[in-house]
Amino acid sequence: MSHQSNLVSDNDNKINLTIITPRGVKFVEKADMLIMRCIDGDLGVLPGHEPVSAVLGDGILSIFNNGVEKKLAVFGGIVEIEYQTVNLLSTIAQRPEEIDLERAERDRQEAEAALQEISEEHQTRRLQVLLHRSLVRIEVSTHREEAKYAEDTVRDSNE
Amino acid sequence: MTSMRDIKQRIANVRSTEQIIKAMDMIASTKLHKARAQLEGVRPIYRKLKSVVEELGRQEEAQAHIFFQERPVRNSLYIILTSDRGFAGGYNANIVTTAMEHMSQGKNEKILVVGWEGYEYFKKRKKNIIRKITDVSDAQVYYGTESIANWVEKLYLSGEVDEVFIAYTHFENILNYEPCVEKLLPVPIAAVDTGVARTIRKYEPDTHTFIDHIIPFYLHMNLFRAISESHTSEQAARMVSMDAAGKNAEKMIEELTRMYNRKRQTTITQEISEIIGSVNILHKGGAHES
Repeated sequence: MSHQSNLVSDNDNKINLTIITPRGVKFVEKADMLIMRCIDGDLGVLPGHEPVSAVLGDGILSIFNNGVEKKLAVFGGIVEIEYQTVNLLSTIAQRPEEIDLERAERDRQEAEAALQEISEEHQTRRLQVLLHRSLVRIEVSTHREEAKYAEDTVRDSNE
Repeated sequence: MTSMRDIKQRIANVRSTEQIIKAMDMIASTKLHKARAQLEGVRPIYRKLKSVVEELGRQEEAQAHIFFQERPVRNSLYIILTSDRGFAGGYNANIVTTAMEHMSQGKNEKILVVGWEGYEYFKKRKKNIIRKITDVSDAQVYYGTESIANWVEKLYLSGEVDEVFIAYTHFENILNYEPCVEKLLPVPIAAVDTGVARTIRKYEPDTHTFIDHIIPFYLHMNLFRAISESHTSEQAARMVSMDAAGKNAEKMIEELTRMYNRKRQTTITQEISEIIGSVNILHKGGAHES
């Protein structure tokens, strides 16, 4: 991917990603590739994708740009894809630094403990969602260090 | 004629009221600031969702879906957003009259009313209130709207109501806010624009599932936005009316003070002339006697 970005000028063949939440436009960025979680599996998007609207599930949104991977926790919502632009509308989209890791850990433990005791269907479903969300949060927030490291190496190689 | 003591008392009264007005004005302006930030946050996602839903509505497959399909109307649900407290000028009166006008077009209405002011109004008029929501704290609004959206959706799907309207106050700026009634469900299908042929969009996993997910999300955001709009308008209306009240109070104090001073002047003048008069008389009397 890195050699590609050398051939094409930076703005030409990129996805313009916009993430909108009820708190406003949250995230505007260019990307080479996106991988997002839809309700029926992962969906990868490269520039020039055909127009598609999809329903998002609870999961990780990975943004690849110049060889750097960024991760965001996105829970639900929809995505609107059109050639060069991707608009992601979601109620919750969190950056690694916004995630309260302790709380996510606590949620995970509580959900796991409760799942072992309760067997009622709708309760377990709710707990599974909670567990899944906490796991996503934990994974995204542990990614922070790596991303920083990757950014540093990119900066070094540019110099 | 009022005595000087009465006037003084009145000035004190007006002054203490003025203090309260100023405090309320300040509260309203901080709340307005917050409400506005919230509103600015939710507007982009609402607009975007609306355009997605409108585009979706042009698809033939979508038009047959229960959320889009018009059906014979027996009952209509009205969601009416008012405030919990008064002192907001014509804010509540405007929204309830607009809602009443809309209802009078031969609708068999069921009402979900938000806020005490609206509740009292419709209770007095013996309207069919099926649910009331009052005293929602600002922090609870977001999750509150989610549960309202779910409730509305359930009511609509179960066939208890066949259409849903929302009456709220649209916030333009601090001096302008329009009460309006909008149709929530079934989602109005925008007229097909005859202009550019639109690209055909695919929906993942399929159109039906997409509609099933986007409409509740859209409803939630729409309700949240409408409540934010109303809330912002309410604070703006309150601020403006408190501003006017503060000015009135100032003017009144000024007038009363002038009245008081005049009165004092008259009393003094009168006293002086009395003294002079009596001195004169004494003087004359003295001269006469000697």
